[in-house]
Amino acid sequence: MSFNLFAAEEQVIEHADRLRERLADVAPECCEDLGALIDAFRRSYRDQRRLVRVSDRLQAQLAAANEELERRRNEAETALVHLREAQDIIVRSERLASLGALVAGVAHEINTPVGIAVSCASHLADATQRLRDTVDRGALGRSDFTRYLATATDTTALILANCERAAALIHSFKQVAVDRASSERRVFKLGPYIREVLLSLQPELRQGNHTVTVDCPPEPELDGFPGAVSQILTNLVLNALQHAYRDGRPGTMTIRVTGDDPVELVFADDGAGIAPDDLPHVFEPFFTTRRGEGGSGLGLHIVHNLVVGPLGGTITAASEPGRGTAFTLRFPARAPMPHEDGAAG
Amino acid sequence: MDALRIDATRRTPLVDFDFPAGVLRLAGESYPDDSASFFGPVLTALREWLAASDVPVRLDVELVYFNSSSAKALMNMFQALETAAAGGRPVRVIWRCDEDDDAMREFAEDFSEDLDHVEFTVAERLDAAGSGRDDAA
Repeated sequence: MSFNLFAAEEQVIEHADRLRERLADVAPECCEDLGALIDAFRRSYRDQRRLVRVSDRLQAQLAAANEELERRRNEAETALVHLREAQDIIVRSERLASLGALVAGVAHEINTPVGIAVSCASHLADATQRLRDTVDRGALGRSDFTRYLATATDTTALILANCERAAALIHSFKQVAVDRASSERRVFKLGPYIREVLLSLQPELRQGNHTVTVDCPPEPELDGFPGAVSQILTNLVLNALQHAYRDGRPGTMTIRVTGDDPVELVFADDGAGIAPDDLPHVFEPFFTTRRGEGGSGLGLHIVHNLVVGPLGGTITAASEPGRGTAFTLRFPARAPMPHEDGAAG
Repeated sequence: MDALRIDATRRTPLVDFDFPAGVLRLAGESYPDDSASFFGPVLTALREWLAASDVPVRLDVELVYFNSSSAKALMNMFQALETAAAGGRPVRVIWRCDEDDDAMREFAEDFSEDLDHVEFTVAERLDAAGSGRDDAA
């Protein structure tokens, strides 16, 4: 059984046609007008049928377009998920690579003092064995013993110095890995805290007649890690003492703090400056211009890790050879909670 | 009577009625914000020209999309042309669409249903942009 949506209209047309037939006898003068009316209604009825079809097709097209849109949106979302996964993988492998570089650097740095200590110990062992043989043969003379003592004194001094050097290096390596969870978090006033830290650096500063001026408004109050701030300032000052004023002249360093959130801290010296070729590398681990003179190449790397990690901020370095260097630190007044964001690690 | 030309917009078609030549063209997409105020003047101009002249007529319809009220406006135009054709004037309507555009081909069938005197044909589209001029059917 088929249904007709326009059955009523068709019945009206049939009815009108019958009416016209009946009218032909009763009032033939009306027939023509009525015929025109019926034709107009018939046309309108067909228009209506067409428009319904047009509308239905347009709706179908719209539905198809929406489906296509939905499909493409899903595709785009899937692509985005894949992209994020790929990004995570890249970030992870980047971290592994930098960990690998760190391990290689540690191995390289430790290798020298440990190697010296090993060969000294071996030399001492040989000398000791020779002495024992001489004693066993009953042929020990005063000069043999004096020579042995000289060897033992030299080698043990070298072993001790190099083991101490290795221990110092290991101590500084440990600082590279900043354990945020274990460092103390509290609210503290930045200005007074900076002055406290500088007080503890007075012995080093006085030695070279250096001064540090602090320009910090009293307001900034930080919710974060004073230990990290202390380490950062200490490393920046010691780095300046080692590099900026190595020619022995007294220098003036400034610490200027502006803004309360984010806080901007500029540490500037008026020393030798950093060569343009070196500047992009100063925060890299084991980058040092003073290898073999006690520089581990970790001071600024530690600063960088502390600023980016616990402080949740950024650090940049600008320098002009002969006119000094400025480090600009920018960080929020409230440090991110550990594991709060992707900056961890 | 002068020609009537309305450039296409994103929602309204090109209307290019070269009345002196008797060549009329609609092309593009048609879903005006207010169909009555867009098509009203077009229909009026068409009816006035049909009444005032007896040049043979050719209308190219090259729409890629139209909404329901544009469809009603098209039917009104076709009805006016049908009336003129019934009066003995040569009238051709060329409905242009892509060969694989089934919906447009079905529309053509629907729209030609009531045209007994107009010569109605379906043909390939002239160009994709819907704004070029053509010389031959």
